[in-house]
Amino acid sequence: MTARRLPFSPWHLVLAPTAIVFALPLAWMLLSSFMSNAQINQFPPTIIPDSLHVVGWDHVLTQASFPRWFANSTIVSLVCVVSNLIFCSLAGYAFARLRFRGSTILFLLILATLVIPFQLTMIPTFIVMEKLNLTDTLGALIVPGLATPLGVFLMRQFFMNLPREVEEAARIDGCSRLGVLLHVALPLARPALATLAALTFLLMWNDLLWPLIAINSDDNYTLPLGLTTFQGQHTTDWAAVMAGNVVTVTPVLLAFLFAQRTFIQSLTSSAVKG
Amino acid sequence: MKRIPTVLALVAVSIGLIACSDDKDDSGSGGGTVEIKFWHGQTQGPAKLLQDMVDEFNRTHPNIKVSKDFGGVNSDRMLQKVTAGLQAGSYPDVAYIYGSDLANLAKSDKLVDLTDKKADIDWDKFFPAAQQAATVDDRVRAFPALIDNLAVVYNKKIFDDAGEPYPKDDWTWDDFRAAAAKLNDSDKGIAGFAWPGTGDEDTTWRYWPLLWQQGGDILAEDGESVGFDTPEGEAALQQIADMAGDGSIYIDNTAGSERMQQLFTSGKMAMQIAGPWALPEYVDGKIDYGVAPLPSFGGEHTTIAGPDTWAIFDNGEAKSEAAIEFVSWLTAPKQQIRWLSEAGSLPTRTDMADLPSYPDYEASLPDLDKFVDNLELARIRPTVAEYPQISQAIGKAVASVLQGKSSPADALSDAADAANSELSVPGG
Amino acid sequence: MEAAQPAAPPRRTIHQRLLGDHPSAWGFVFPAVVIIVGLAIVPIVWSLLLSFRAADLIGPSKWVGLSNYDALLDDDAFRSALGHTVVYTALFVPLSIAGGLLIAMALNRRIRFIGIYRTLILAPFIASVAAQGVLFSFIFDERFGVANSLLDEAGLPRQGFLGDPDQALYVLVGIGLWGGIGFPVVIYLAALQDVPRELVDAASVDGARRWAILRHVILPQLLPVTIFLAVWQTLLSLQLFDLVYATTRGGPLDATVVVVYYVYNQAFELFHAGYAAAVAYVVAVFLMLMVGAQLIYNRLRTRRA
Repeated sequence: MTARRLPFSPWHLVLAPTAIVFALPLAWMLLSSFMSNAQINQFPPTIIPDSLHVVGWDHVLTQASFPRWFANSTIVSLVCVVSNLIFCSLAGYAFARLRFRGSTILFLLILATLVIPFQLTMIPTFIVMEKLNLTDTLGALIVPGLATPLGVFLMRQFFMNLPREVEEAARIDGCSRLGVLLHVALPLARPALATLAALTFLLMWNDLLWPLIAINSDDNYTLPLGLTTFQGQHTTDWAAVMAGNVVTVTPVLLAFLFAQRTFIQSLTSSAVKG
Repeated sequence: MKRIPTVLALVAVSIGLIACSDDKDDSGSGGGTVEIKFWHGQTQGPAKLLQDMVDEFNRTHPNIKVSKDFGGVNSDRMLQKVTAGLQAGSYPDVAYIYGSDLANLAKSDKLVDLTDKKADIDWDKFFPAAQQAATVDDRVRAFPALIDNLAVVYNKKIFDDAGEPYPKDDWTWDDFRAAAAKLNDSDKGIAGFAWPGTGDEDTTWRYWPLLWQQGGDILAEDGESVGFDTPEGEAALQQIADMAGDGSIYIDNTAGSERMQQLFTSGKMAMQIAGPWALPEYVDGKIDYGVAPLPSFGGEHTTIAGPDTWAIFDNGEAKSEAAIEFVSWLTAPKQQIRWLSEAGSLPTRTDMADLPSYPDYEASLPDLDKFVDNLELARIRPTVAEYPQISQAIGKAVASVLQGKSSPADALSDAADAANSELSVPGG
Repeated sequence: MEAAQPAAPPRRTIHQRLLGDHPSAWGFVFPAVVIIVGLAIVPIVWSLLLSFRAADLIGPSKWVGLSNYDALLDDDAFRSALGHTVVYTALFVPLSIAGGLLIAMALNRRIRFIGIYRTLILAPFIASVAAQGVLFSFIFDERFGVANSLLDEAGLPRQGFLGDPDQALYVLVGIGLWGGIGFPVVIYLAALQDVPRELVDAASVDGARRWAILRHVILPQLLPVTIFLAVWQTLLSLQLFDLVYATTRGGPLDATVVVVYYVYNQAFELFHAGYAAAVAYVVAVFLMLMVGAQLIYNRLRTRRA
């Protein structure tokens, strides 16, 4: 099947408007970040800034702790992405391919962690972190995020879908289970891994409620938590909030942009090689 | 299998490095200095001011150090975080607690009882409303932190454009209603007045002044049941229903009732029932406003105050003593005058007026003195543990009436049922 | 290396007898399980114990056995919350899956700017829920919002949207879809990469039209992922909280109170933490049964295949 190389694909007519509709609110957020607070507080809201005010950006970027917040969020998110890629691939593969006693129970237990609302579980989790002496450190944010149920389920799902033949061929060749995972299954699961990485990054990066409970000191704030300091009991520095939202969204957008490059249809499609 | 232990070790090591890289200040950094944690729940201007004041306190009080751990939470989530802290055994020494939450927090024995220290903390100097807000079951359980009240702020330009005279200090609810109807202009996008419609405390606490003005009360004499399911309560709610029915109202359904603030700041609302905290934003928006006391039903212009408190928690005697000393210093006139303007608060103490810089404070915002005078007519909500239920019950009733979904009588009786079932249950 | 020769099944070691066919599997799952289950055991047990107490998490609590669960049965507010949650789920799940698939298929092509399109369409998914809340309360404002202005232009009557108790929940479904459809899109995009090209090529060589290829080749390949998404999206929508907190706070007139919001309100605004835990547990158990049943059904189905 030839790849379509028309100079202008009709799909643009569908995708461009859709993309605009979806992206419009973020565009508004970006534009608002260049307004003054007086203009933002106008109601009904205006879309075009009356002039290029940078007061919002100024407040956010010159906030003394801003680089620290950004760095904290980056560290937490990246460490968790790496650990999820490793731990969830291992666990997902085991649940998908290896029969072992207790696999069903374990799987159901992991599922069970998802059904109790976070509003309740955050207090006992906080107690545990306190006992581990991790409260008010990045450790309290990283440790619970090292492996996520979503990650395990995702990888399990994708490994279950891979045709078994190649793996079995490798086993017959004398490859160990781990070897099969590393050399056969993982390379085929690249889109899944990219998805997992992007989703985990998003989850950890945007999390507000847990850092709010677990972190006390300004030095340890993550970005979303730090940005709440622009909202007050009665007044909000909206220009700064908007600028802050833009700053928060950009790295994740880049992460997804990067991840979806692996979605280019790979040349190695089917797994059975002669 | 060989790679996994290495990888795990790497991850573990990096966690360890990160986790240990931040100083965890434990109690006391050197002989004799007591360290306390002050979770002020403030942001922006007020937060900066408090941090400056903390630095000053630390300089002038060498035995006490207020740490840099300010809690990481705004006042609206403070209770949730303090609750988690109480459960985990790790909680601050001072926290900013809403007045309406204090009665429930007082159930914890970790909330220091200050009753025996009244003399040391200048208790008699605080205004009665401030004292009441910090008192639960006749015990003093916190310091007053902030006090405000509700009055009517009106947009002079909208009044001028319509040829309407400004509200007089002795005006009535009928006057208010007529003005709202006259000034409401859908074509120009101008609303007469607003009311929060989410059904939370914001919706509720604007109703209480009308109830009090009618002669009703929130709780019955014995405190065992509600006092608003009376003809007085109904009359008060009826007034709101009538005004809403005129179509001159903007019902604000946003979380935090910000929309109506924005509308007034944009010059799109004629009258706003608000507190002194709202004034700085109106000044920023260049609104030429005036302040009038709440209208009355022909009698007293009773209004409501919503005080907040500094609560002190027990982390051992040394820390509690240090915390009490700190908050006494913080609420003393010389420090408080700086706090008032930043936080949008009114004075909590009677001796504030003696300060030489006091007139500057009153002049800092147009008509701020009207709010101060209003304090004399202000009552506060009862400090009982069941208040949150009462608040939600009435909030729903008012919201229902605003939407025109039920009559005042029905709404109130439903609210009374809900609240009474709570009041009759002993304990939690 | 021996050629393919039926090998005798290896003798089972003690490890294998004890731990099943693949004892090394425990090593595979160990890290994830330690983190996920290890950290969750305490909250799960703690919440269960809490549900048997009259507690406010501040003062002393006391054991009340099953009376919280008893009270649940008569609680009209709980039943409404449940109802709202079910309505939201029943609308959100199918729409997000169908919509996600359509968008993913549209995005699964190699044309110019496809990277940009994909990223932009995912943009709402990336923005925080709080930001979405601010945004949509502007758009749907009754007096001043863009939505009503557009209706005015089109000559249609203005709506209450988030201010109308009868409409608010449906508006939330819309906002939830806008912000949440990115997840099925991302999953389907990745899954579409795994559809073997040979099958598609073979079918089109055989003369099958696009629609038939879709129905008979691609969709069946996507069935497992679709089931996964159905379960996951259901779990998500039954846990809806952030969006409600950021927009309506359960209003107007409790029309958008969903179960998790009810739990939050009971625990942290009304100081009935024990009762809140009981509510949470009832819903949790029901969820587990539902998903568990689905899993077992799946197992049986694949065993038979």
